[in-house]
Amino acid sequence: MPLLEVDALCKSYDGSAGAATLAIENISFNVERGEFVALVGPSGCGKTTLLMCIAGLAAPSGGRVAVKSQLVDRPPPDLVLVFQEYNRSLFAWRSVLGNVLFGLEAKGRGGKAADERARRLIGLVGLEGFERHYPWQLSGGMQQRVAIARALAYEPEVLLMDEPFGSVDAMTRLELEDALLAIWKELGTTILLVTHDIEEAIYLSDRVHVLARRPSRVVETVAIPLPRPRHQVTTRAEPSFMELRNRIYRRIADAG
Amino acid sequence: MRADRRFNLAGLGVFAALLLLWELYSRAGGVESYLPPPSAALKALTEPNVARALFGHLAGTLGRFLGGYLLAAALAVAAGVVLGYSRFAYSVSEVIIELLRPMPSVAIIPVAILCLGIGDAMMIAVTIYAAAWPILLNTIDGVRNLDRTLVDTGRTFGLGRVKILWQVALPAAAPYIATGLRVSLPIALILVTTSEMVAGVNGLGFFILDEERSLRPANMYAGIVVVALLGYALNRLFVAVEARALAWKRGLQAKGEA
Repeated sequence: MPLLEVDALCKSYDGSAGAATLAIENISFNVERGEFVALVGPSGCGKTTLLMCIAGLAAPSGGRVAVKSQLVDRPPPDLVLVFQEYNRSLFAWRSVLGNVLFGLEAKGRGGKAADERARRLIGLVGLEGFERHYPWQLSGGMQQRVAIARALAYEPEVLLMDEPFGSVDAMTRLELEDALLAIWKELGTTILLVTHDIEEAIYLSDRVHVLARRPSRVVETVAIPLPRPRHQVTTRAEPSFMELRNRIYRRIADAG
Repeated sequence: MRADRRFNLAGLGVFAALLLLWELYSRAGGVESYLPPPSAALKALTEPNVARALFGHLAGTLGRFLGGYLLAAALAVAAGVVLGYSRFAYSVSEVIIELLRPMPSVAIIPVAILCLGIGDAMMIAVTIYAAAWPILLNTIDGVRNLDRTLVDTGRTFGLGRVKILWQVALPAAAPYIATGLRVSLPIALILVTTSEMVAGVNGLGFFILDEERSLRPANMYAGIVVVALLGYALNRLFVAVEARALAWKRGLQAKGEA
């Protein structure tokens, strides 16, 4: 039984002229426990809408989403979404520690044990020594690390990530990718990540679902057999990495 | 808004020069009856029986101010959160708000006297009424401007509406609420003083008017000095508390401006 099931999901918006715009058409896929799955597609292909539906933050127009066989009709308790706009999602009035503690408080955890766990997670995302800092005192990459630590503090079984590294510079992006892989290995959390960066999708995941634009649909699912642990230089230099990249690129270009 | 830590020497000099001019003018001229020299007001302040009386009036004014201001804050923040959150609640109250808001608040004093009689309840009621508006409107604004992503963040962490209100909406709106509180502070003091003048039996407003009517202008000025110092002290206290409570916001703004 898959941990996350997306079955014939559709989402349409009411247009201005009364005509409904179809944003997502009939998307189906599953995510198994412990898997790292990426959804890759061009900008404006409804990726964020799809994640909002999976996270229970938007209602689909058709089809269904289930987490552990439970129909998602509100934000499910075993799943957390990490937003692309970390600067809008972090609580500016809470310190780094306070933000991470929020994830634990939301789960009903408090006291010394929660404090220790929060500090451990802050260390895990590489922010040791910044516990007392406020988000505005941190760089974009560091802010997204806080957002990830806060999400992990909630101990979700599924972590949804909406272009989590879309707003940071290229070097930071590579660092954060490796940090995420290390966390995934350590905690075994199931991750579904959305990106428009084909190489990022291949580098991180076990499987890539390729989305086409307007209406959004899965045009191909590509297994990524690259060995782990992966390495920014050697993995990306492998011929099979190049083949996968070209195959996915062509698929997206053809689907237009 | 930031308090300058150095003394404003030029400003203090102008103030001292004006005081000196006043002193000389009233000593030289024949206007003593309504414009006693500042030294006379100062002397009145140091007279034991005046000082004792003023202390009692100050306590009365401060008590009514705190009662009215704090109750206004509690009520207006609560109402503002509801009105900012719920389109329906706002639309049913919009006409009332738009009609009452521009009305000078002192116009409510006779109504309050009719309904509540003369006494502390009346004075606190008009203070609440007047001080509530800026807090209410700023709180509505703050909750309205709440970032959708923040609410969705609360929701994805499984928070219900009430918890999102408390843990997300309210702190996010705190800078707006603080602005409302800062604007309301002098308004509350104005209403306390005015209602004491109209219907008080003690308090600084009562004292100032009573001394004027008793042809003791020096004592009247002493009362004015005390109420001015009260307003100044309350504002300084507010700024200090706000700087502490919203330290996170100050840094954010400094960064945005840089």
